[in-house]
Amino acid sequence: MKKETHPRLRELRYTLYRIFRNPSAIIGFSLLFIFLAVAIFAPAIAPPKYAHNPYMMPHKGFSPTPKPPSETNIFGTTSGQYDIFYGVVWGTRTAFKIGLFVVTIAGFVGISLGAIAGYYGGVVDEVLMRITDIMWAIPTLVLAMAIVVAFGRGLDKVMIALALVQWRWYVRVIRSEILTLRDQDFVHASKIMGVSDFKIILRHILPNAIYPVLIMASMDMGSMVITASFMSFVGLGAPKGFADWGQMVALARNYIVGPADDPLRFWYTIVIPGCCIILFVLSWNLIGDALRDAFDPKLRRR
Amino acid sequence: MPTYILRRFFFLIFVLFGVSVLLFGILMTFSPERRAAAYVTTPQQAKDIPKIIKKFGLDDPFYIQYVRWIKEVSRGNMGWSLVASRPVGEAFWRYFPITLEMNLYAAPIVIILGIWLGTVSGIHRDTWLDHSTRIFAIIGWSLPTFLFALVLLMVFYGYFQWFSPGVLSDQLTMFIIDNPEQFTRYTGLLTVDGILNGRLDVALDAFHHLVLPILTYVIVVVALNMRVMRSGIIEELSKDYVMTAMAKGADKRTIHYKHARRNALLPVVTVAGQLVAMSMEGSIAVEVVYNRHGIGWWLAESATQLDMPVLMCICLFMGLVFVATNLTLDILYAYIDPRIRLN
Amino acid sequence: MPKIIETEGLTTNFYTYEGVVRALDRIALTVDTGSTFGLVGESGCGKSVTVRSMMRIIQAPGQIDSGKIVFFPTDEARNEGIDLLQQSEAFMERLRGEQISMIFQEPNAALNPIMSIGDQVAESFFFHRSREMSQRILERLEKNGYPGGALLKPLYRLGAADPDHWGLRLLRRIPLLRRWEGLLKKEALKRAEEMIGQLGIPNPEEIVRRYPHNLSGGMKQRIVIGIALACHPMLLIADEATSNLDVTIQAQILDLLLQLKKTTIASILLITHDLGVVAETCDRVGVMYAGQLCETADVEELFTNPRHPYTKALLNAVPRLSQEGPLTSIEGNVPNLVKPPSGCRFHPRCAHAKEACRHSFPAMEEAAPGHQVACYLWTDRSRNGAENQKLSPDS
Repeated sequence: MKKETHPRLRELRYTLYRIFRNPSAIIGFSLLFIFLAVAIFAPAIAPPKYAHNPYMMPHKGFSPTPKPPSETNIFGTTSGQYDIFYGVVWGTRTAFKIGLFVVTIAGFVGISLGAIAGYYGGVVDEVLMRITDIMWAIPTLVLAMAIVVAFGRGLDKVMIALALVQWRWYVRVIRSEILTLRDQDFVHASKIMGVSDFKIILRHILPNAIYPVLIMASMDMGSMVITASFMSFVGLGAPKGFADWGQMVALARNYIVGPADDPLRFWYTIVIPGCCIILFVLSWNLIGDALRDAFDPKLRRR
Repeated sequence: MPTYILRRFFFLIFVLFGVSVLLFGILMTFSPERRAAAYVTTPQQAKDIPKIIKKFGLDDPFYIQYVRWIKEVSRGNMGWSLVASRPVGEAFWRYFPITLEMNLYAAPIVIILGIWLGTVSGIHRDTWLDHSTRIFAIIGWSLPTFLFALVLLMVFYGYFQWFSPGVLSDQLTMFIIDNPEQFTRYTGLLTVDGILNGRLDVALDAFHHLVLPILTYVIVVVALNMRVMRSGIIEELSKDYVMTAMAKGADKRTIHYKHARRNALLPVVTVAGQLVAMSMEGSIAVEVVYNRHGIGWWLAESATQLDMPVLMCICLFMGLVFVATNLTLDILYAYIDPRIRLN
Repeated sequence: MPKIIETEGLTTNFYTYEGVVRALDRIALTVDTGSTFGLVGESGCGKSVTVRSMMRIIQAPGQIDSGKIVFFPTDEARNEGIDLLQQSEAFMERLRGEQISMIFQEPNAALNPIMSIGDQVAESFFFHRSREMSQRILERLEKNGYPGGALLKPLYRLGAADPDHWGLRLLRRIPLLRRWEGLLKKEALKRAEEMIGQLGIPNPEEIVRRYPHNLSGGMKQRIVIGIALACHPMLLIADEATSNLDVTIQAQILDLLLQLKKTTIASILLITHDLGVVAETCDRVGVMYAGQLCETADVEELFTNPRHPYTKALLNAVPRLSQEGPLTSIEGNVPNLVKPPSGCRFHPRCAHAKEACRHSFPAMEEAAPGHQVACYLWTDRSRNGAENQKLSPDS
């Protein structure tokens, strides 16, 4: 008799097949792979000048005018003579740090609260939901700015602020999934068998409810980087000279338009870090989009 | 339906209250000394920080300060804005019309474009039309607004020199400042004021300066709207009552528009709340890059200068906008969906 | 008996990511005027696909790849009929709802939740009886005075002649000017009310203003029937119309259908997987398996003398009160239609399968008057001159 593959394995394989059949996924994962490689091998690709703080971009002098790409500076330098190439490479690490930090914390808090609210319902649900409803009243960026102003400048404060604001999305998503799953027969069956609530949530409900969260998490990896880079752009995030893409665009702010005869002279100061941000976010969005198509039960097995 | 609306109204009042507590809580993370600094308007006052603390009761218990704050806010006194060099309340009304103007023109474009593109791409699913709109949506969603604005500025201002940043050209701005008796601010919206004052050139110039900001904003925000509409339409078209309509002999037009789209508008109405939030965030980036002195610009500048009262004011305003939008949407929802209306 | 609709070699395929699903394989069935034809088979055997192909409401990725669907709308056209597959979509839109109607399985989902009942029933009148209604209104306008009548008369005159006139279509799109249709809407609603009354629903004036969520399942299904029958179609197709209703409501709906058959509809094509329903309501039966039509016969003949092994197995599998021991089922599984078995698709599960069964699908042969079978067992026997032998039900 032929040994049948475990159904979960089969489903996983089918899901992976569905994900990778989608051209968006292929492009997304390829881009992500490149970024990952750059982030991991950053010390080798762009050796840090200040050993104690590799995130400080090296600069030869303080001249404000950016210099175009040359042999010493592959991507040129930006205002203050910071090497763009270095900033791009180490900025990849920063971007991953931001995304992972915010998504992990916001996700963890959001999922826990949402699961409890959704599963237990009643008073607990009401109270938790009212609190989250209050959080919804203010847009992400505005609230994050308010928190950063209260806590102080700095990339770490930005990350904390974003985490504090983003968890509300995860609560909502998880809660709505759990509300549908909670009444299903397999949950009732587990309860009757005496399985503890915690185990039910962890082993039965969450694996089913996790899909929209995964989609949201991958989209958030991108959008959090956008928000953080905007905060750096206005001066609330990374300090000057720190290897962060948003910060680099801030440095270029006065050089959007060059002298009258050559207005696009300093294009590289904006375009290069800008492209990094766009491509990074694009890769996560493509992945999220592919995941969404793969997980959509209506589109499966058409 | 009246009970439904009433329930929502009270709920939203509660939300407003909660928001104020939250914001006040954030404000309280400042030490009394830092908060005292907000009251300092002259250099000599800076030496008397302890006196200021005593005078304004900045180390009183939380709830006492909260009540005091609420009383002040309801009287319109929200502190002093460093950036504007005037009281926060006054400054707000100077900056608000600029933001309002752009949003007023951009919002219908975003809504109509989003619904139209979403419907079309949903009906012609999986054709090249659908795929190209999806690509457009994903790219739009991935673009940081501020970056896109910078690039547009670089190209259309730096290179082509067709447009320039700001709200009005320099000469007209100078003209308005120098000749207040010739130009009255009726609404604060430059396009409208220009017409009302009989100065068409002002209105046209204002429009000219609106083009780039609206372009930036629309491209980034339409993406969301379109996606929701698209998935709504796809979902609706697979519903059984669409089949019934087909079996009745309905033509494609009736099916797509009368049956599918109307039902698909419901989730769009739901997401409209999110759109308002997004539009606020988009406004911030657009105003900062294009140097338009609206609420978003004010927010960013004040944040850079760690000017807390301004942030509090804007957050409260956001809360109000949220409440008002939700109420409107709830009414709209009840109107569209008879199941809610007649319950 | 005169035919009303007939298919020949109907083949429908679904072009999906997983492969081509060969849903229908050369289906050939005939429905006679004035009769009730039952199409039975297991879930997934292609009954719904057959009737949806017949009405051409198959949506992508499905496609009707070959065959003919011949419809005989009038007595004169009896010999020629109209091949529906050759007609334009506009023709089909006029046909659906007016000459052939269909009702579906799930009454809860079949009605649009944000439109009132009256509106939904009236829609049928709008699509097909616009001309007549305009004429009626015109006559009334000319008889009585009516405020604004002068303006409306030419519009309705145009409507009576050509409802699809570009001018009228334009007016319909402009929000404020749409009001001219007000009288038309009222007329359509009045007819809708009458129709609902005929379905045995109390208080039709009330119901017309209600919404689907206010009604019970049985009433909703009646409304769905009302929508289908609004314009007195010649053929009603009922796609598992009673499968989702509880037994008492099911009985009511079936009674209603039979009653309406005497008055309004001429013929019914009933799809079901419930043999009991077939026994009660149908005149002729067709048995399908995995996209192929196995056997057609008059109801009594099929139940007493099933010829096809699948039909026999199906009838055997119906549990009887007197039975003892385990229930009989058919060995094996329903095949995957992406790679269906060759030839006769039942051959892997058939106890009598032969070499020929794997090669090709046997043609329908007349085993007895009015009783066709598609099985080599039967073709062989007939070739061996065994027409006079009566087969016992379990041979």
